[in-house]
Amino acid sequence: MRPARTALLSVFVFAWATSLCLGSASPAEAQKKGGTLTIVRPTDPVSLDPQLETTAPGAWVYFNMLEPLLTMDEKMQIKPALALSYEILSPTKVRFKLRPGVKFHDGTPLNAAAVKFTFDRALRGTPPARWASLAGSLSGAEVVDELTVDVMTREPYGPILRTLAMYCTGIVSPTAVQKMGPDFSRAPVGTGPFKFVEWKTNTHVILERNADYWGDKAPLDRVIFKVVPEEGARMIALQTGDADMVLLPAPAQLASLKRDSKYIVHEVVGGRVVFAGMHAGFAPLDDVRVRTALLHAVDRKAILENILEGSAVPARGVLAPSVFGFKDMQLDKLYPFDRAKARALLAQAGWTPGPDGVVQKSGQKLSLSWLAARGRYPKDGEITEAIQAMFKEVGVEAKVQFLEWATVFTQFRAATLNQHMFTLGWVTSNADADYSLYALFHSKQVPPTGWNTSRYANPRVDALVEQARRSLNQTEREKLYGEVQDILAKEMVWIPVYNTKEIVVTRASVKGFTVHPVEYNLWLGKVWLDK
Amino acid sequence: MLTFVARRLLLAIPVLLGVVFVVMLTIELIPGDAVALMLGEHATPAAVAKLRDYLGLDKPLLIRYVGYVGRVARGDLGRSIQQNRPVIDELGDAWPATLELTAAALVIAAAAGIAAGVVSAVWPNSAFDALARLGSLFGLSMPVFWTGLVLIVVFALWLPWLPVGGTGSPSHLVLPAVTLALPSLAMVARMTRSSVLDVLREDYVRTARAKGVAERLVVTKHALRNAAIPILTLLGLQAGQLMGGAVLTETVFAWPGLGRLMVKAIFARDYVLLQGAVLIFALAFVVVNLAVDLAYGALDPRIARQG
Repeated sequence: MRPARTALLSVFVFAWATSLCLGSASPAEAQKKGGTLTIVRPTDPVSLDPQLETTAPGAWVYFNMLEPLLTMDEKMQIKPALALSYEILSPTKVRFKLRPGVKFHDGTPLNAAAVKFTFDRALRGTPPARWASLAGSLSGAEVVDELTVDVMTREPYGPILRTLAMYCTGIVSPTAVQKMGPDFSRAPVGTGPFKFVEWKTNTHVILERNADYWGDKAPLDRVIFKVVPEEGARMIALQTGDADMVLLPAPAQLASLKRDSKYIVHEVVGGRVVFAGMHAGFAPLDDVRVRTALLHAVDRKAILENILEGSAVPARGVLAPSVFGFKDMQLDKLYPFDRAKARALLAQAGWTPGPDGVVQKSGQKLSLSWLAARGRYPKDGEITEAIQAMFKEVGVEAKVQFLEWATVFTQFRAATLNQHMFTLGWVTSNADADYSLYALFHSKQVPPTGWNTSRYANPRVDALVEQARRSLNQTEREKLYGEVQDILAKEMVWIPVYNTKEIVVTRASVKGFTVHPVEYNLWLGKVWLDK
Repeated sequence: MLTFVARRLLLAIPVLLGVVFVVMLTIELIPGDAVALMLGEHATPAAVAKLRDYLGLDKPLLIRYVGYVGRVARGDLGRSIQQNRPVIDELGDAWPATLELTAAALVIAAAAGIAAGVVSAVWPNSAFDALARLGSLFGLSMPVFWTGLVLIVVFALWLPWLPVGGTGSPSHLVLPAVTLALPSLAMVARMTRSSVLDVLREDYVRTARAKGVAERLVVTKHALRNAAIPILTLLGLQAGQLMGGAVLTETVFAWPGLGRLMVKAIFARDYVLLQGAVLIFALAFVVVNLAVDLAYGALDPRIARQG
């Protein structure tokens, strides 16, 4: 336990720039006010209340209505939102000074009590909040005075600031929640630059500019989020002008859209890594030579070029580069695509080619069982099949079983996993390495507790991730996570395949939009239309 | 007549009870847990347990079944597991859209299908007949998501006459209704053609013609009324099919109907919402079947006397 550090970090707020400076129009262009932005995306929200919805379809919408204490800009730096400054009082307590004069859309003033109300409701309410699971050790908030609030954690918790900058920790109006009850989730009330107008199930959600916003008012009059499930129909809507912005566009059309001056393709490397996982507790994958042989057998470049068609980038480790604590694992240098090397490693481990081309050891074929779903992550089925074929080239047989996601998910969450391999994607929700390295690689985090589906166990890694979790010194944490990733890179239990790109296509008349590495943070407060 | 209707409606109750039980059992038997899915990859076991307890999902199947049936009997369809919203509201949002789409598609299928079928039967092996038969083969074989997208490209992109999708005006209804109607239209046309052809060979048609009845009247009054029974049966079956089978059309045209709601409920293992939707379907089937039976009686007095 390190002694508590106290740091007062005052944050400058310039009169002309709001802290939420996400995307800005180039100064040459005069920003125009007004107009309606129409966005098409595949699914309707589950709810517009983070209490019931932490996935993208709802988050894209409520991120523009509900504001957290802190936020993360597109460079992944923590910036003030409803809190102006913070002070770390102890390893389990952070004090926030709130922005004065802020009002919710219903006129309720934003104060410490509203922050406490929001956290109490999420952590102790019924039904329990969906986002409580994402909030790590967050345990609640206490009112100090009208504009000062203390946020507490159960134990020293390094990622606390990133947790409070998560898209789903927006502060809600206590008055509105008490008045509306469960209906709040259909018409939430926050402090953001847009306020709620209407939600027609499976049709659209409409927001309008909040004229009393504390920061720069949104240029747009209205935003309409339309549901268009069919990818082809979404792209046609963009072409006919029925839509100004498409979320989850068709990857196959991106190349031609980039060449067309009528459209702008916004892209940035996102936070999700999709990988083929290996069960390290299951022979023969308990042998690191076999695991690394499999890494050498996979031609990731071919997968990315031929299957993902430019909609993703090669994974550079088990974390995405936008995550705090990320260290490049140099996979292409450590494990280049090299079939001869793969065969040599297998031979070292005692696996020699058998009569049917499959390697064997004392009469047993090297045959791996593999569980995967289709359509849960972009091209997950196709990459699984491609890797299966690549394994075959080095004499390893893989028997893939494709099942519907809900079924696969249940098996992954079970205490025992009778599969050698599995295809999964993982997004670091709070953009802090703890969230992934702890849940995925700590030996005590085997399902159903956590997500260590690989059954990876290394006491050194356990100690490092625990230490990093309990430290509030971010420089030290970064160093510890670097060491963890160095160890993991030597003992690989994953074949990291790709890192998703966040891609949004707009018509050229849409200005002031910047795509964010966190897929949920679709910020429309600066967007304007040049029509 | 009234007792007949009342008896038929009472008979529907055990059917509905059975349907509810089968749906519940199915959701229970397929792997996948609503709460674990809802809370996603990142949920703690404690959170999952807490929510299961809150939703009463930890109780045995039979207890939940009895509880559910008791609540439905009192007119309470419960709250959807995923959205925590009254199921009646969810259904209220989707039901009108489905009804509108199904009714429009059924009208198109019946009107165009019967007209094409009658013309084909009156002039069999003519150029029109060949075309109609080819067209109906096409309508039956082409998948909805393909015809739907082609119609969008032609009528929304190339000739910007109609909207790409969504709802809001009568013009929004045209493409999805036509797309949904095509396979049924083809079936009705083929059924009408064969049915009318059979009747036109009957003795009483020859008698009518011999009496000098105008050909138009022979076809409409004598032939079509007798050929109508199998056509009506087919339309009744199609009505149920169209309601439940509109998922793909609803998806392509972003139509906010029951089909998509059900698929969503199945993938989320949201049995409460699914039950509500299935109950509506089951009821609709019962009502349509009843309406078809009553229509038989109106068309053929011999059937009415037996009923």
